[in-house]
Amino acid sequence: MIFWVQQKRWLLIALAVGAILYFFVPHPQSLSLEAYHILIIMLMTLIMILKEPIPLPAIALQVIFWQVIIGGSTPNEVGGYFMSDAVFFMMGSLMLAVAIVSQGLDKRLALFLVSLTGNRTWRIVAGFTLTAALLSSVIGPHLVTAILLPVALTLIRFSPDRGKGLVALSAALLFAIAYGANVGSIGTPSGGPRNVIMMNYWQEFAFTSLSYLGWIRRVYPMVLLEIPFSVWIILKTFPPEQQHMDSAVRHLLVEVRRDGKISPAQGLTLVLLALMLLGWVFFGEQLGMGTIALIGVFLFMVTGLVQWKEISAGVNWGVVLLFASTISIGVQMKNTGAAIWLAEGSVSILGSLLPNLDWVRAILSVGLSVGMANLISPSATVAVAGPIVLNLGGDPILLGLASVIASAFGYFTAVAAPACTIIYSSGLVKAPDFLKAGWKMALMSILSLTVIALFWWPLFS
Amino acid sequence: MNIYIDILFWVRQKKWFLFTLLYGLVMYQWVSPPPDLNLAGYHALIIISMALILIITEPLPLPAIAMFMLFMQVVWGLDTANNVASSFMNDAVFFIMGSLMLAVAIVSQGLDKRLALGIIKLTGHKTWRIIAGFTAISAILSSFIGEHTVAAMMMPVGLTLVRYAHKDPRKVAGLTAALLFSIAYGATIGSIGTPSGGGRNVIMMNYWSEFGAGSVSYLEWMKYVYPMVIIEIPITVLILLWTFRPEQTNLDSAVRKLIIDVARAGKMKGREWLAIFLFILVFLGWVFLSEAFGLGIIALLGVFLYLAFGLVEWRELNRKTNWGVILLFGSAISIGIQMYDTGAAEWVAHIIITNLGRVIESPTMLQGSVSVLLTGAMSNVLSSSATVAVVGPIVLDLGGDPILIGFMTAIASAFGYFTAVAAPACTIIYSSGLVKSKDFLRAGWKMGVLSVVSLLLLSLIWWPML
Amino acid sequence: MKKKPTKIETKALKFLTAVSSVEYSKPTLKMGSLIASVFDASLGVVYVGEKASEFHGSSVNLTRHNLDNWNIIHPGLEVLEWALKELKKLNPENRDLAKIQFNPDHVYEEDGRVLVILPNEDGSRVELILREGELVNELRKEIQLEGYDLAIIGGSQNKRHLAHSLIQYLPSSIFVLQKFNPRVKYKLLLLVDDSSATSKSVKWGALIAEKLGWPVRTLTVSKTKRFGEGYMGAAATAKKYFDDKGIEVEQFFLTGDPVRTFVEFAADNHFVIMGASTLNPVKQLLFGSKPIKTLEQTDVPILIVR
Repeated sequence: MIFWVQQKRWLLIALAVGAILYFFVPHPQSLSLEAYHILIIMLMTLIMILKEPIPLPAIALQVIFWQVIIGGSTPNEVGGYFMSDAVFFMMGSLMLAVAIVSQGLDKRLALFLVSLTGNRTWRIVAGFTLTAALLSSVIGPHLVTAILLPVALTLIRFSPDRGKGLVALSAALLFAIAYGANVGSIGTPSGGPRNVIMMNYWQEFAFTSLSYLGWIRRVYPMVLLEIPFSVWIILKTFPPEQQHMDSAVRHLLVEVRRDGKISPAQGLTLVLLALMLLGWVFFGEQLGMGTIALIGVFLFMVTGLVQWKEISAGVNWGVVLLFASTISIGVQMKNTGAAIWLAEGSVSILGSLLPNLDWVRAILSVGLSVGMANLISPSATVAVAGPIVLNLGGDPILLGLASVIASAFGYFTAVAAPACTIIYSSGLVKAPDFLKAGWKMALMSILSLTVIALFWWPLFS
Repeated sequence: MNIYIDILFWVRQKKWFLFTLLYGLVMYQWVSPPPDLNLAGYHALIIISMALILIITEPLPLPAIAMFMLFMQVVWGLDTANNVASSFMNDAVFFIMGSLMLAVAIVSQGLDKRLALGIIKLTGHKTWRIIAGFTAISAILSSFIGEHTVAAMMMPVGLTLVRYAHKDPRKVAGLTAALLFSIAYGATIGSIGTPSGGGRNVIMMNYWSEFGAGSVSYLEWMKYVYPMVIIEIPITVLILLWTFRPEQTNLDSAVRKLIIDVARAGKMKGREWLAIFLFILVFLGWVFLSEAFGLGIIALLGVFLYLAFGLVEWRELNRKTNWGVILLFGSAISIGIQMYDTGAAEWVAHIIITNLGRVIESPTMLQGSVSVLLTGAMSNVLSSSATVAVVGPIVLDLGGDPILIGFMTAIASAFGYFTAVAAPACTIIYSSGLVKSKDFLRAGWKMGVLSVVSLLLLSLIWWPML
Repeated sequence: MKKKPTKIETKALKFLTAVSSVEYSKPTLKMGSLIASVFDASLGVVYVGEKASEFHGSSVNLTRHNLDNWNIIHPGLEVLEWALKELKKLNPENRDLAKIQFNPDHVYEEDGRVLVILPNEDGSRVELILREGELVNELRKEIQLEGYDLAIIGGSQNKRHLAHSLIQYLPSSIFVLQKFNPRVKYKLLLLVDDSSATSKSVKWGALIAEKLGWPVRTLTVSKTKRFGEGYMGAAATAKKYFDDKGIEVEQFFLTGDPVRTFVEFAADNHFVIMGASTLNPVKQLLFGSKPIKTLEQTDVPILIVR
């Protein structure tokens, strides 16, 4: 009994905080009751996610039922917020990863990557970061993470390290993917839906616009600047024990040789993957990214390339639940006005303390975006914070860019960014690891954003 | 050469899938929609009929069919991706998810040994009393914790008894069949009793609220339906004894051995009390709070409690929960709602009514019997919950009191006595390899008649009194 | 009788026997064990059970897990346990086999297949496999996975309508025991023609005849009166092969529709060995092939060599 309390103390603390706020603290006048309750749920969830006293899927479940019990929504409404195209996309990408592994393509990809980087551990980590960053600028961070995750897992599987060495190696490779994908996603407007949202806001609120190339010219230097620093941070935080991965690579080579030439099934897998990629690029907007992911998984099952049993066992369904529940709470924050309240509140408090200058506005918009991106998903952050930031005054393009870039700084928790959630689904990294590396990443990102904003952007105006 | 054989083999395995595609293509491209049905409704009908063919012939795994239903809605422009996604999740799907997880949590507690002891204490050693006990306990328990949970817990008890009764269970086929069917049919008839008895009941409740037909509370449902459970229990026992004629009238030695087996488990531990206590909490939540919070939300709350108290590991839930079925029901309900919204359901209902209206004069009898026959027949081919998900929107459009028609449909969907596919409990006893599909027919038709008659009595005598 | 040591392939052969139930599978298992000992092959025993409806798959699995706690095992494992016992009885001289104990808890599950792990199985060369699903599909997967050379399938289940699919899709040689009566003294009937599989079937036939002492007949059927050179050559090669081994052989040459002639000739006391068809798979599917038609029309045991 006492042991249980000891184990679950953070659960009890979270519940106690929730109960005190719910019963004894009156809600602020400027905030509606529902919004206040949503904020309470948010706070409880945040405590649990950071400390993980209960399994993350259980945290997802409590998000669902609190929304009904104290949030005052009907179960069907919550169900509606819970599932969206993005969730199907996440589910589909996790399933695709299973299909890639089941066909053994992960080994070939891994070998290809290693053949480019060489056998040194730091070069492999750098290779993963660079690949993830460059690809995610084009096709978005979710997909890149979903494809690279099995590749990294293969290398980890073949590595002779055990115990602590293995933990460090897996953390280094997986964070290289997730942070690489996050860093890259700001590079072009197609790196994520939030970039598109900001483009729309510019037209709606500020009556200006930025071309695709204009975006790249302003932001891509930052991506390039961040990549080496990310590699350095990851290697410092999770120092791998082995300097070389020779034996893993040799093992990999043997495996691939034994598989021989690309089999018809593997060829078909590649064709289907290419088709899906085309589908995402050309029909993603019209049919929804998730719909196309589902079509892809459907084709994989129809052709018998992957069995449902493998998918069912290989997909971490808890992560799907978790992702869906964070999205649902994000939607609730937006709908009840809690998000706006939070954003305007912090802006007005900080704004009253600081003089109204350009750099202050920039700091405000960055700080706001970073804080919210770690609470709710990046797209929701931009959707909510965007109008506020643009209303601060000052150059809308610069403030908007700063805010959109900062919304990618969701490094702190397993749910902050989809890429983080996907690597968390492997079960090889723990929730506290995100905090460990995340604060350094955030610091570095903010610094490089400052450098870019001070030295690069002025060249354009 | 080999690749040709691979392709041919694939065609053989998927011939029904190819047929379905062809059918869909022909209907979409070359058959023009009926004049009194709009295009969206027509497309919804094509999707659902394709899905039905796929579900019955099973050339693809169920989740693939679920995905098919989801993306076809978007591809044919019935709705946007986000709207389809949000119609996918609702209280009924939460409930199915929660109840599948609860089943894992409850069954892994090892409470079945206690249950066995309890039943034996109540019934004594006579075969007929044991069978009566099995039927009654399965029926009553399954009303509350769901038939799949009950069958999973009762099966070992039944099989152990049979094995102790004779070394080779095939030599006492009558006894074996009677015991196993008392579990399956008991669980099936009990599952109509309350909304939490099965996913199909919650699906029906979801349709009621979705289509604005009013709502029914947990206790009201019991008031309407429970008398039928109580009537059916004794008659089921008689049918089973009469059909299978157990070889032994007394199970003295088998029962004694079972008691020794079970007694080894020792006294009730704190964990087990906690598990029971938590379930009672969930049950009370269903009874008193489900109107405000929904059955599914409370089921999820229950799962959360089991996880928080460490009674079950998430890993176990992840592995043993049937995620594919959750996807399937989500998508079936979403297309069901689409059928209703586009008017396709009304169109089908109208066709049925006008065609059968010439045969049967009285309108209420007509609607009732149509829904009962349609549901009963389909639930023997599909699973019962899938039947309700598909038929629900249609029968609610037949006219008449939607609540009563809904009750009839939900009840009739439990009439899947003839095949091993209909109800989870039937599939479970079939998987033991000790009962044949022939046995399902032998006892099933009697059960079918009994159930239809008692439903008739219920609807003619009991419901008007309320 | 002079005997030359026979060598077929240097690689050890792997045979697979499909069993369905304790009641019906005894003759199949017996024949499987006999043939395996003739070829000195290792023997896999597979039980292909019905798959539960997917809707309730997880409930069934949950029940199975719970049944494990009560020491009640999967019905398929029971059949496999029985098969192991039977095999021990059939091969009393195999010491390694006798040592094996069946333990239902020691199973390895992957890809929808359950492999019973048998301790000390090195010398016994027996494998027990449990699968669930459609028969042809599961056998095909098993053969592809393990590279079996011969699949032995009983005629007890209603396999007539499956004959076509079995022959067309199983990638190994196939032995179908339809009405196999262990008491009847069978004659080996080899169908000889110019197809490429004939030489292998002659080799296999010789080995069986040699070990079991069954009399051998070869049959060559032509549609026309004239027997082509390929046919006569094949018959002569077969004759020479048997003569070399010192096995007596009767040769028959008949005219008529091949399949009808085979069926009439085989009557009910022959054990037929024939080569698999070399027609292209699409033609086989549409028009059938000699082995498929023969299998459909007769009741005698047939070994189709691929």
